Amino acid sequence: MSRPKLLALLCLAVAVAPAHALEPPPLAIAIHGGAGVIDPAKMTPQHAASYRAGLAAALDAGYAILERGGSSLDAVTAAVRIMEDDPQFNAGRGAVLNHDGDAELDAAIMDGHGPRAGAVAGVRHVKNPVELARLVMEKSPHVLLVAEGAEEFALEQGVVLVRREYFRTEARVRELEEARRQAGELKAAAPGPTGTVGAVALDRAGHLAAATSTGGLTDKHRGRVGDSPIIGAGTYADDDSCAVSGTGQGEFFIRQVVAHDICALVQYRHLALAQAVRELIHEKLRRTGGEGGVIAVDRSGNIAMDFNSVGMFRGARDSRGRRDIAMYRDAK
Amino acid sequence: MPRAMLSAQREQRYRAGLEAALDGGFALLASGGSSLDAVGAAVRILEDDPCFNAGHGAALTRDGAAELDAAIMDGRQLRAGAVASVRHVRNPIELARRVMEKSRHVLLVGAGAEEFALEEGLALVPNHYFRIAERQEQLESEQRGARVSDLLPAAQGTVGAVALDGEGNLAAATSTGGMTNKRPGRVGDSPIIGAGTYAKNGVCAVSATGHGEYFIRAVAAHHVCAAVEYRALSLEQAVRELLHGILPALGGDGGLIAVGGDGRIVMDFSTEGMFRGARDSAGKREIAIY
Repeated sequence: MSRPKLLALLCLAVAVAPAHALEPPPLAIAIHGGAGVIDPAKMTPQHAASYRAGLAAALDAGYAILERGGSSLDAVTAAVRIMEDDPQFNAGRGAVLNHDGDAELDAAIMDGHGPRAGAVAGVRHVKNPVELARLVMEKSPHVLLVAEGAEEFALEQGVVLVRREYFRTEARVRELEEARRQAGELKAAAPGPTGTVGAVALDRAGHLAAATSTGGLTDKHRGRVGDSPIIGAGTYADDDSCAVSGTGQGEFFIRQVVAHDICALVQYRHLALAQAVRELIHEKLRRTGGEGGVIAVDRSGNIAMDFNSVGMFRGARDSRGRRDIAMYRDAK
Repeated sequence: MPRAMLSAQREQRYRAGLEAALDGGFALLASGGSSLDAVGAAVRILEDDPCFNAGHGAALTRDGAAELDAAIMDGRQLRAGAVASVRHVRNPIELARRVMEKSRHVLLVGAGAEEFALEEGLALVPNHYFRIAERQEQLESEQRGARVSDLLPAAQGTVGAVALDGEGNLAAATSTGGMTNKRPGRVGDSPIIGAGTYAKNGVCAVSATGHGEYFIRAVAAHHVCAAVEYRALSLEQAVRELLHGILPALGGDGGLIAVGGDGRIVMDFSTEGMFRGARDSAGKREIAIY
């Protein structure tokens, strides 16, 4: 009895092999350059073109890594690093300035395979915080290092520290002055979301990864840490569910544990990724008052990008031929 | 702490400390106080007690300093406050509550958190206030030993409390000095909302203790709440799955205390022991170590 059964299975395996060969495992990457950053009315065509070019550079560099068989971890690191180096975005060079006029940077990375994670917060002399976060994950037994202790670790790892002036751009100095002026006029006005950057990806091996990097809020209190470097809040990846990177009013993302909650809804409530994202962004965050958005990718390569703010700078590319860059609601 | 190493006299001191915190917190609940006040008071008492690794008597970093983390969460509106890597705040749990109530932020770290403490009128204390001879000895013995101290948690004893009050509000609070011989700037799960501390009305309140890095990766406290809310697991089942399934698979151990929206208390651990106490309005009152 058992022999014919075995044969049948073997035949089946032969029969389905060509179909598998025609359909390679999906690849997908999505990036964001922040939610609600710029009022569309104030966006000049030159600005728009420049932001699009910055997003495209990060998106395509990340995708190229996936396409040549690289890991999702390498893809999200590369994409975020490019946006950290681009002064248009609020991360790395060009990060917003805190109340004391300094850039104070946070970043996290998570490998859905493991899962394992690394994060840094409150660093002021590290050119690419996402790379330091990755070193925390790979070269230390820890997940989160903050402030001077994180920079001490950077030096031990051979990372060259840079002067604080490296991060400061004229545009951010003007924004800080404006924020201070407004703070003097109307106290307690909650600042809008800023241009945090992030990436999520699925690679050929089926591994998910997420990375996020930010300068936080303009005029923030020294030592304030938002959701970006908090595993589960602004950054999360698990091969069994999904990878998420958030941007927005970080305090609300921390309280709702947004990134992990999206993955829990996918894994345990069996919601489609887009539905889970919608539930967090348009229901749960709305109830507590948080503004922002997320990008997410699941193990099948589905990408979801959603926000409850004016816009979210974003891009997505996958092995089914999708490649788009968008800034506002109407995909423009 | 292996059972064999704990003398009867020491055990008595731990029990007395746990009782004081438990009864201090419960007295507030019994007189109609909020769960937020109850967990704040219980944790504050444990911070002041040198037996426990939080506040006075905290574990020391590899540089010999105390570096403290704490968080508090109000399950009613999902409000939260936390501080990490503070060196001069006598009661970190109080500062965490100020962050929640007096700032628009959730997490403040390092010198910036202490700046905020000063703005709030809290007096700072010198770092030696926290340091006790016993922790110094633990640090030295760790540093004499193999360089595994970064990897293995020793002399834990993070403190925490969870509570349900008469209005049905849940709250959680956690405070710690982290690992002995830790790298300065290392932050564990205690001040991470969703990892070591979480509270959501109608679902559960959780405070964890153990190998923090694994609790962060597992988003442990929120995982328990999500398992209860989305999969209709009982609180016991959700906690058991985390501590005896998910965390060991990652390589981590530890324990946690949790209370459900119905007042049910769960205390479980994968280590040899966990100093703990529970008290409720049905008359339960217990202190246990193993």
